[in-house]
Amino acid sequence: MRSIKLKNLTKTASGSCVLNQINLHIPAGKFFALLGPSGCGKTTILRLIAGLDQADSGEIYLDEEEISKKPINQRPINIVFQNYALFPHLNVFDNVAYSLKLKKLPKGIIEQKVFQILESFHLASHIYKLPSQLSGGQQQRVALARAIVGEPDVLLLDEPLAALDFKLREKMLIELIELQDKLKTTFVYVTHDQFEALTVADQMAIMNHQGEIEQIGTPKQIYEFPISSFVARFVGTTNILNGTLHHLKEESEIDCHELGRFKVYIPQTKEWMKEGSSIQMSIRPEKIFITKKPAQNFSNHLKGSVHSIVYHGRSTQYNIILKNHTRLQVFEQNEEHFPQEVIDYDNEVFLYWQKENAVILEK
Amino acid sequence: MLKISGLLMVASTYLFLYVPIVVLLVFSFNLEAFPSPWKGFTLKWYYELMHAPYLWKAFGNSLIVASFSTAISLTSGISLIFYATQGGRVGKFLALFYANLVIPETILAVSLLGFFSLFSIPLGLTTLVLAHTVLGLGFVVPILYARFVELDPKLTEASLVLGATSIQTFFKIILPMLLPTIVTTGLLVFIISFDDFVLSYFTAGSSTQTLSLYILSMIRSGVSPMVNALSAVLLFLSSLLVLIYFSLKTRTRIV
Amino acid sequence: MKSKTTLPFMIGIPALIWQALFFYIPLLITFFSSLLHFTEEGLFLGFTLEKMALFINPIYEKVWFSSFCLALSNALICLIIAYPLAYFLAFTGKRFKNILLFLLIVPFWTNFLLHVYAWFFVLEKEGFLNIFLKSIGAINEPIHFLNSLFSIMVMMVYYYLPFMVLPIYFALERFDHRLIEASHDLGARPLQTFRRIMLPLTLNGVRAGFLLVYIPSFAEFVIPELMGGDKQMFMGSVVSHYILGEKTASLGAAFTVISSLILLISALFFYWLLGYLFKPRKSNA
Repeated sequence: MRSIKLKNLTKTASGSCVLNQINLHIPAGKFFALLGPSGCGKTTILRLIAGLDQADSGEIYLDEEEISKKPINQRPINIVFQNYALFPHLNVFDNVAYSLKLKKLPKGIIEQKVFQILESFHLASHIYKLPSQLSGGQQQRVALARAIVGEPDVLLLDEPLAALDFKLREKMLIELIELQDKLKTTFVYVTHDQFEALTVADQMAIMNHQGEIEQIGTPKQIYEFPISSFVARFVGTTNILNGTLHHLKEESEIDCHELGRFKVYIPQTKEWMKEGSSIQMSIRPEKIFITKKPAQNFSNHLKGSVHSIVYHGRSTQYNIILKNHTRLQVFEQNEEHFPQEVIDYDNEVFLYWQKENAVILEK
Repeated sequence: MLKISGLLMVASTYLFLYVPIVVLLVFSFNLEAFPSPWKGFTLKWYYELMHAPYLWKAFGNSLIVASFSTAISLTSGISLIFYATQGGRVGKFLALFYANLVIPETILAVSLLGFFSLFSIPLGLTTLVLAHTVLGLGFVVPILYARFVELDPKLTEASLVLGATSIQTFFKIILPMLLPTIVTTGLLVFIISFDDFVLSYFTAGSSTQTLSLYILSMIRSGVSPMVNALSAVLLFLSSLLVLIYFSLKTRTRIV
Repeated sequence: MKSKTTLPFMIGIPALIWQALFFYIPLLITFFSSLLHFTEEGLFLGFTLEKMALFINPIYEKVWFSSFCLALSNALICLIIAYPLAYFLAFTGKRFKNILLFLLIVPFWTNFLLHVYAWFFVLEKEGFLNIFLKSIGAINEPIHFLNSLFSIMVMMVYYYLPFMVLPIYFALERFDHRLIEASHDLGARPLQTFRRIMLPLTLNGVRAGFLLVYIPSFAEFVIPELMGGDKQMFMGSVVSHYILGEKTASLGAAFTVISSLILLISALFFYWLLGYLFKPRKSNA
């Protein structure tokens, strides 16, 4: 297991995608996710690490070794493609054994390794079939087996689950986590699906449309403490309110004009948090308490009416209209079969949240 | 209504295509030579065919020319693809080969004749092979290259990432995947060369005969049941080859 | 990076060399020999358009005109027969389709001269058709089918039909059948659907087929010579006559060059015309 360091990587292309001075450290032996909207450059980063493309400037390090100029086939890095790219004229065994045969390992050892890995992936019964005879999920596992049988130092995965249906995807995510845990190989997982990223990652990075990295951290850090409205909006859903920041003696407040003034909690003061500056406040829908009766012991509250209700099984989503026509989303977990309070369309409701549960963002 | 007239039209077209052939076949078994009507069944024309003096030499020549020109054009075509896989920019040269289809064979044949006489190259099997290879290249290169670009580039990338060099990738991945197309195109080019007339007419010279030229000489000396018999045999061979071509095309569409 | 592609280049180059050597250079030689002026002994005197000028002559103009008419009518007849045939082929059931395709390709893959012979056999003075007609009492004297424009046309269509059918067939294969249903759904009559939907979308196939028939037909000399006898002179026969003659080779070259030009221009014209008539048009909304 080895770490990857990207230093000042820049790449321009005649298409829309640009990589702009990317600096990234992917720790060894961890499951790292790279999340971002389609076309933002995350696949490009993967291809640069694999050697399939060349950056215009910058360096790539595998531990301390600079590999930017190393040819593709000499890098101990393998990749699982989105469309699997299984060799259609070779059967499962030959596909998986491909890299081992190139290394000229003895036949017996190759057989042993291939059989072993196909066993663990539950593919033993398909060993002499052609890729066209396999289902999507099976093909995906063959692609995975082919990539890891040669014990690479790093495994790159380019949206590997995109072509699978929901249930299968959930299952494969768990299997991938367990696999990485067992192998301790550094995994770099690229996706535009935030659910996937949050599920698998030990550490993750979010990229924006301009080919820049917005934030790096653990899934929890990124979800609970986004540093920009892009991150707050891209990962999960959130409510954003605009206002002016005021530092009072004991605590800080955000003045959201007609909506009122709300107390905010600032864990770490940043440079842009000046008195009177325009800022944004992000409150996640699940952090808001919704009720028809007034409640006590909350830092902040708002009044609104219920515009629409969406039932999600585990939770109910309420879309609330505030007095200045701003909309807020609220999630409430459906804890009880027979809820004590039933909230219906056009009801007047109170929204409460604690000041620690909101995050202020730079505008 | 439309259906019936459609079927009628198709039926009559196929009738038009096959009546001469069927007639030809039937009368290859006729006891007496034309112009007599049907007298009885016989295989004697086929026996005579077997012993026709220059027929087998011509047949052999056609076979040799077709084989060599197919082999050379296929090899050149594959080499060109190899060059493309190693980073060569083939795309822009491709247009050069489209001209083969656009220039009428007569003009090409005439030009080649001029070329050969200018450089005092004696006409014969060699010039035939040279000419037919040009014909073949016009098919081989565009068809193979079109199939090549259809291949998923990710397959090449996967091979490289797994540790193969470009050359290994060519022989282990690209070439096997192109094989069905290579075989069917080879078959196509072989037939085109074997059946060719115009090019052979101008580049064969006086001492060499291909099968087409032989048939021409037979036609010039009038109708003869031996030609009927020859037609039957060649038709049978063609049908066989078309069957092979079809079964290859439908069976091996892997990707 | 440079040394990496040198060896593959060496390997890849034969195809290019061959093409250049045996295709383009001969053509260039033909082109230039039509312009060059040699004395009896073969001394090079310079460029001249004299030889070309020789052919600006009603006799030759008639030859070109005949070739033009032959090629055009052949292409048109083939198109009219081929399109419905290709349509039928593309939309029939699988098994029937394979049989029909097989039957279409077998003659295509059979020796060219045998086709000629087959029709020879049928149309000759003492050939099959005459014998048949005589036997059923329709005629008393054998009809001279051969040596006529009729027999030439029959043979041309017979040989060139698959060239027209196959490209159109491939274009129709890729054609989404549901478009026809949608068009009928919206109220169009079959002819309108054909004109507005099918033709524009299969235009490439039609163009390809048209050129694949028109261009070779223009230079065709075997069929007219064998089936038409000496009645008509076409471009191909003139070329072969001159080229194979003793001292007329360079004249032949000149004639070839001019003929090629005429052929090229007319072919391009028809290519454009087909596009103009049938290309998908932007509506005047």
